Amino acid sequence: MQIVCCVKQVPDTTQVKIDPATNTLVRAGVESICNPYDLVAVEAAVKITEKYGGSVSVITMGIPSAEVQLRECLSLGAHQAILVSDRALAGADTLATSYTLASAIQKLNEIDPVQIVMCGKQAIDGDTAQTGPGIATRLGFTQLTYVSQIIGLDIQKQTITVRREIENASQIIEAKLPVMLTVELELGAARYATLPGLIKAIKHEIKVWGAKELSCTAEKCGLKGSPTSVKTIFAPPPRKGGPVYDTTEGMDQAVNSLLDTLFQKEAAIMSEILSNDSKVKNA
Amino acid sequence: MPKNSEGKDIAEVNPKKCSGCQACVGECPVGCIDIEDGVAKITAEKCIGCGKCVMVCPSDAILFDKPIKKKVVKPAEFVESGIAAYKGVAVFIEVKDGVAADVSWELVGKGRELAHKLNTNVMGFLVGHNVKSIAAEAISYGCDSVYVLDNSAFETYVSRVYGAALTELCRQVKPEVFLIGASSLGRDLSSVIATQLQTGLTADCTGLDVDPQEKLLMMTRPTFGGNIMATIYCRNHRPQMSTVRPKVFKMPKRDPARTGEIIPFKYDNVVEPLIEILETIKMDTANLVDITHSQVLVVVGKGACDSKNFQMLEELAALLGGSVACSRPLVEAGLLPYVRQVGQTGKTVAPKLYIGIGVSGAVQHMVGMQGSEKVMAINNDKNAQMVQVADYSIIGDYVKVVPELIKGLKARIPNIQTQGAQQ
Repeated sequence: MQIVCCVKQVPDTTQVKIDPATNTLVRAGVESICNPYDLVAVEAAVKITEKYGGSVSVITMGIPSAEVQLRECLSLGAHQAILVSDRALAGADTLATSYTLASAIQKLNEIDPVQIVMCGKQAIDGDTAQTGPGIATRLGFTQLTYVSQIIGLDIQKQTITVRREIENASQIIEAKLPVMLTVELELGAARYATLPGLIKAIKHEIKVWGAKELSCTAEKCGLKGSPTSVKTIFAPPPRKGGPVYDTTEGMDQAVNSLLDTLFQKEAAIMSEILSNDSKVKNA
Repeated sequence: MPKNSEGKDIAEVNPKKCSGCQACVGECPVGCIDIEDGVAKITAEKCIGCGKCVMVCPSDAILFDKPIKKKVVKPAEFVESGIAAYKGVAVFIEVKDGVAADVSWELVGKGRELAHKLNTNVMGFLVGHNVKSIAAEAISYGCDSVYVLDNSAFETYVSRVYGAALTELCRQVKPEVFLIGASSLGRDLSSVIATQLQTGLTADCTGLDVDPQEKLLMMTRPTFGGNIMATIYCRNHRPQMSTVRPKVFKMPKRDPARTGEIIPFKYDNVVEPLIEILETIKMDTANLVDITHSQVLVVVGKGACDSKNFQMLEELAALLGGSVACSRPLVEAGLLPYVRQVGQTGKTVAPKLYIGIGVSGAVQHMVGMQGSEKVMAINNDKNAQMVQVADYSIIGDYVKVVPELIKGLKARIPNIQTQGAQQ
C-alpha cells in the first residue's frame, strides 16, 4: 500500500509585508516553508504506515528550490520524494495543478498501488482548498475533506474510517479505498525530526519529473491549461481610521473620552446593541 | 530600456512589484525567467525581447517599453468554441436539514445584479429531497427559474453524488456563470464540478462584477495570505465558477409576490456514494457559539495571547451581549477553538461593533471582518494596521484598558437603556 502526500512550497505569510509607500506586497526575500496543513498530512500518513505497513511518497509541483520542503518531509518519515518541476508547468491554476499531480500519482500507482492520497485542507498562500478535490475527481478516488481524525483502516474490507468536520457537526464516515483525504490541523502536528531522520533526508535521492516523464498533454498543464487568469493584482482598499486615544496621557481620561464619543456618535448602534442584550437577558 | 550585451531590448522585473505568481515563467518561449527569492528574475542573455511576459503579468512588474501586438479575440471565435451557447447566472441552492442556507440567497441577490449587467436571468440549482417549498422560496428571493433535482439519494450531501448530478445539470442547462456558497459543503463540492466540467473556479471571492467591455465575470479575491487582492477572469471556459463566503453579500429582500418557473430536472443516473456516514455528532448547542450571528465581537489577537486574561474579555463581551472571537494565531496556539476564528481561513463576520484586542490587522484577518459596522481597536502599538483602520482606537496595555472599559461601560449602560426605553 502506497500513501501519497501532496505538499506545497508556500511563502511564510507571517513574514509577508506591505510596502507602506506603494501599498503593495513585498514578496522579495520572504522565506519559503512547507504548507503547515501538508505537514499534518505527512505525519498522519507516516502514522498509518507505522500501524498498517506500506510506504509514504511525497510529491510537490514547484520550482527546483521546493526540494528543501521535500527533504523536510523525508526527515519526518516519508519514504520517497518526487519533485514535479518543469517550465511547462509554471503559472498553473488549480485545474492545471490537479491535472499534473494526478498524472504523477498515476505514474506512482503503476509501480505500487496508491490507496490513499493526502493533502492539507488548503494552502496558506492561496487558501483555495480546490486541488485535493480536483485530484480525487480526476483519479475517481473517494473524497473526504476536512478530516480531523483517522479512526482506522480495514485492509481486508478495503475501507477507511475517519472523522470529518462540517458546519456545527462532525461525521464518522466509512469510505471505500482508494481515498483522497484533506486534513485539518486537529489531526496532529508533525513530529520533530530525529538526527538519523535528518541525515537520511539529506542523503536521500529526490526524483525529478517533468511534463515529459508524466506524459502530460501540454494544453492541460501550466499557464496554457489554466482556465483562470489573474487580470490585476492590487492592495485592498484602505478603511479610514478614526480618533486615537492614547493612555500614556492618562488611562482614565482616554477610556472615558472614547466611551463618551462612542455613546454620543454611535448612539443608534449602542442603543440597538444594548437593547438586544436586555432582550437576551430577559429571555 | 535595458539591453543585453548584444544590444537587444530586453524585459526587466521590478522585484518590488512582483508577486512571484510564475505566470511569466510559463509564458516565456525561451525559458529565461526563473523564480528566485520569491520573485521573477530574467536572464538577460537569453531574453529575446518578445514582451510576452509583460502581457501576462498581473502586477505590472515587468518593465518593457517596446510596443507589443495585442491578440484580440474576435467574437466569432467565441461562437466557434461554443461559449456563446452558455447563458444565464446559476446559483446553487444549498439545503441542510430541510432549510436553505442564507449564503444561497445572498448569492441570488448578487446574481440578480450580475444578470442585469449581462442582460440575462437568474437560475436556482436545487438538489435535495422534498425541497418543493425551497424552490418557491428561491423564486421569492430573486430566481427567475429553479431547476430541481429531487431524489431520496440527495437526502444527505455526498460530494461525488451531488457533484455528478450538478455536473450533468450544468452540461444540459449551460449557465455562463455558476455561483456556490463557500460553506464547508460548497468548498467540498465546487472543485468536483469544476474539474469534471474542465472549467475555471475562483474560491472565496469578496467581490463579483461584470467587465463592461468584455462581459466577463470579474472575480475578486484576497490572495497571497490575504495581503493582496486579485481580480481573476475565466475567459475561454464556461461556466465561470466562483464560490463566495457567507455574509460577504447582503441578504436580498424576499418578495412572495415574485413569479418564476420551477423545472423538475430528470436525472436517473445517481452515482454510488462509496461512503457510509456511520454517525453524525452535532456540536453541543449550549456551548456552540456562532460568531457570525453576534452583534458584538470581542476579538482576541496575537497581542493578547494569554489565557489568564480571557475572563475579563469574556466579561466585556457579555456586558455588550456579544461573544469572544479571535485571529488565527490564537487557534494555532490552541488557546481558542477554530469555530471562533475570524478571517480568510476562519469565519467572515459582520457585527455591529467589532472590538479588536491586540489584533495587529493582517489582511487575511481583515478580509473576514471588513463588513463590521464599527471597529474599535485596543492595541499597544499605535502603528498597528488595525489602529490605522479602526473607527476608534485606544493605545495602551489591554490588561489595564479592558477593566477600565468595563467600569466605564457599566457606568453608562443603565443610562442608555432608559434612553432606549424613552424612544
